[in-house]
Amino acid sequence: MLARIPPQTLRILALLFVLLAVLLFFSTQVPNYLNGRLFNRISSSVAIMALIACGQTLVILTRNIDLSIGSVVGFVAFATGSLITNNPDIPPILLATYSILLGACFGVINGVFVAYAGVPSIIVTLGTMALFRSALVEYSDAKSITTNNLPTWLIEFPNTQLFSIGTLQFRAAFVVAILVVIAVHFALTRLRPARKLYAVGSNPEAAEMAGINSKLVIFFAFISAGALAGLAGFMFLARFGTITVVAGLGFELKSVASAVVGGVNIFGGSGSVIGALIGAILIDLIDTSLVRWQLVSEFWREAVLGSLILLSVAADAVLMRRLVKWRVSREKKETKPEVQS
Amino acid sequence: MPQPVLRMNSISKHFGMTKALSNMSITLEASEVHAIVGENGAGKSTIIKIMTGIHQPTSGKIEVDGKTRKITGPQAAREAGIAAIYQEPMVFPDLDVAENIFISDNSTGVLVHPAEQRKRARALIERIGIKLDPSRIASGLTLAEQQAVEIARALSQDVRVLIMDEPTASLSAHEAEQLRKIAQNLAGQGVAVVYISHRLEEIFEISDRVTVIRDGRHISTKPIAKVTSDGMITEMVGRDFGKYFAKTASTAQDEVILEVRNLTLDGVFEDISFDLHRGEVLCMAGLVGARRTDVALAIFGVIPPTSGSIKFKGQTTKFTNPRTAIEAGIAYVSEDRRKLGLAMPMAIKSNVSMATLDSFLSPLGLLKREKEGKVARHFIDSLNIRTPDVETPVGMLSGGNQQKVMLAKWLNLNPDLFIFDEPTRGIDIGAKAEVHDLIRSIAAKGGAALLISSDLPEVLAMGDRILVMREGHQMSIVKHSEATQETVMMHATGQRQEAI
Repeated sequence: MLARIPPQTLRILALLFVLLAVLLFFSTQVPNYLNGRLFNRISSSVAIMALIACGQTLVILTRNIDLSIGSVVGFVAFATGSLITNNPDIPPILLATYSILLGACFGVINGVFVAYAGVPSIIVTLGTMALFRSALVEYSDAKSITTNNLPTWLIEFPNTQLFSIGTLQFRAAFVVAILVVIAVHFALTRLRPARKLYAVGSNPEAAEMAGINSKLVIFFAFISAGALAGLAGFMFLARFGTITVVAGLGFELKSVASAVVGGVNIFGGSGSVIGALIGAILIDLIDTSLVRWQLVSEFWREAVLGSLILLSVAADAVLMRRLVKWRVSREKKETKPEVQS
Repeated sequence: MPQPVLRMNSISKHFGMTKALSNMSITLEASEVHAIVGENGAGKSTIIKIMTGIHQPTSGKIEVDGKTRKITGPQAAREAGIAAIYQEPMVFPDLDVAENIFISDNSTGVLVHPAEQRKRARALIERIGIKLDPSRIASGLTLAEQQAVEIARALSQDVRVLIMDEPTASLSAHEAEQLRKIAQNLAGQGVAVVYISHRLEEIFEISDRVTVIRDGRHISTKPIAKVTSDGMITEMVGRDFGKYFAKTASTAQDEVILEVRNLTLDGVFEDISFDLHRGEVLCMAGLVGARRTDVALAIFGVIPPTSGSIKFKGQTTKFTNPRTAIEAGIAYVSEDRRKLGLAMPMAIKSNVSMATLDSFLSPLGLLKREKEGKVARHFIDSLNIRTPDVETPVGMLSGGNQQKVMLAKWLNLNPDLFIFDEPTRGIDIGAKAEVHDLIRSIAAKGGAALLISSDLPEVLAMGDRILVMREGHQMSIVKHSEATQETVMMHATGQRQEAI
């Protein structure tokens, strides 16, 4: 039976298993752990990271990386906040569209440099990470957006309870994030243009030979990542209300971590946004739980997280290699490919 | 006479000062297998790259079905019905077979229907005439299967001209025969097949016409019936090549330099035992999958064997890594130039000095650059490496010249035992003869050579003795005087003759 399941699905199942194990472990360590509040807390905070990790996954699939994504989130959150502060009558949909488009514009800048100027993405986005952040400092004049100046619909939006199952509340921000992830997942598995992300990441030379416009595909990946970061910026503004120049700082690495823990191959070509979502949830869960775990001092949280990332990636590499070997040997035994001569 | 499918009309291509092609004209007819032969560097790859739109010609034009057409890139080539498959197939390892075939096929709209896609893939694969599950992930496929995927991809786009560039170089005899059948089968379906190969037997077997090129110029195009092997070789190299298959006298001495006894690596090979004398060339023959390379890697310390013993220069040794083996005086020339042999972006001189860098250091530990250049120039002269200078990145050279640089790297070490793994694969006949001379001269100077080769004429010409392996077992050691193609093949196939 194991041989029938595609490796990607197997990865997701393994991740869910780890998630369950972590939940069970902490429930024995932390009193009053498993309850609705835990779910509500995690789901609220993961909503933003899920979107960013999703965008990061699109970029990583093409063998690139976007380190500017945290700065984009911060800039968009601030710009959107100042727009609505000055024009409180802008309708919600328009405001969200503004955030997404603004994010996409940053993606265009990254995409032009990486895809068309041929500069390695780690260098381009390391530069734009600093540039976008400085732009935010300059643009904001070191002032902050505060909750008081934002319309109530915006502040209330992320915590609006859409429906609930028992004590588990499904809030708008989380539901939006899940819907986006599902939509992107559908695109990545079923839409031909999106499948080309995998092709380009899997074997760039072959993609070129097969007549795929790799540059356009990579450009598209960066724009999509920017747009998703823009939406995340909108959600960030709505959730926190108060936006300073450090908004979104560190999100870039956390998004890479989420993707990698979620089984996205850092060398491109394989992985799924569902995996990245679960990776984000897992990291957030452990982060939140460690705060409540008496045995571990706060200072060890980063170390535990770091170990988790190393462990999951190493385990994944070892297991997948074994799996592939095992399957190849099975297939060889089952079917000897022969010409019908 | 029907309209030719494709006509290259006095195409020239210059790269800076280098003239890769001058006034090249080739005509391809429907339903023919058209072989193009020439030494490495003769311009075959340039022709392919122009036909597939990777390079643009400096002058001249291309006609498809009688109409002049600019092929601006791979996509445009596909639209004109031109596709190519290479020695190293271009597949997407993370995608399944069906998706590999249809990834750039936009005819079914934007939505992918996996089940239907697999059905269409199955139909194409059947048309080629092999069995392959379309839902398999490409990373687990054999080279032959990957090539089949590429051919299916070409077929999915109504290919009119299919270029096969050294398609059988990495295949076992059986797989190669399958591939040749596929090529003829496609020609039977109206496709013009361009077939490029260094295996002359192959060309006589399947092609209808042969074009010989040399130094970027068209030499001749003839129906295969009017071509002889000798005539073709003479045209290719521009000189007489009678000595290629000649066997020179053995220079083997009495001293045993390498003694291998019952060498076993569980699940891979078993009970390999042989002696190798100074001055001797011992060939290891066998089909792909015979595990010859694994034996070599075990001797070289890359994969430690499970049991058995190795005596080198009279001492029992157990190399646990290549470094200790190199220090003891063993060199291993890999079959995989790209991965294990050369640093492609680095200069020739840096590649040459790589394995012996310590000898290029001044007392202060600084690199003596002039010495590097001097040594590299020495090898460029003695091995006849064709290059503008020692600073040229190895990746810019043709395959045969890359191979010579790799040999230079190890020659510089002056080892007692040379292990050559398919040293002439994919290189032209002139370079091949030079490599053979080199191996002979190493032996004549008292070195020993273990030569792994899948090229039977080479094995017969070079081996003082021939060790034949089959699926991890040592079948026999044949003396040169008793070896014929038939005896070696009988052992390699385990007495069955189907795979010859």
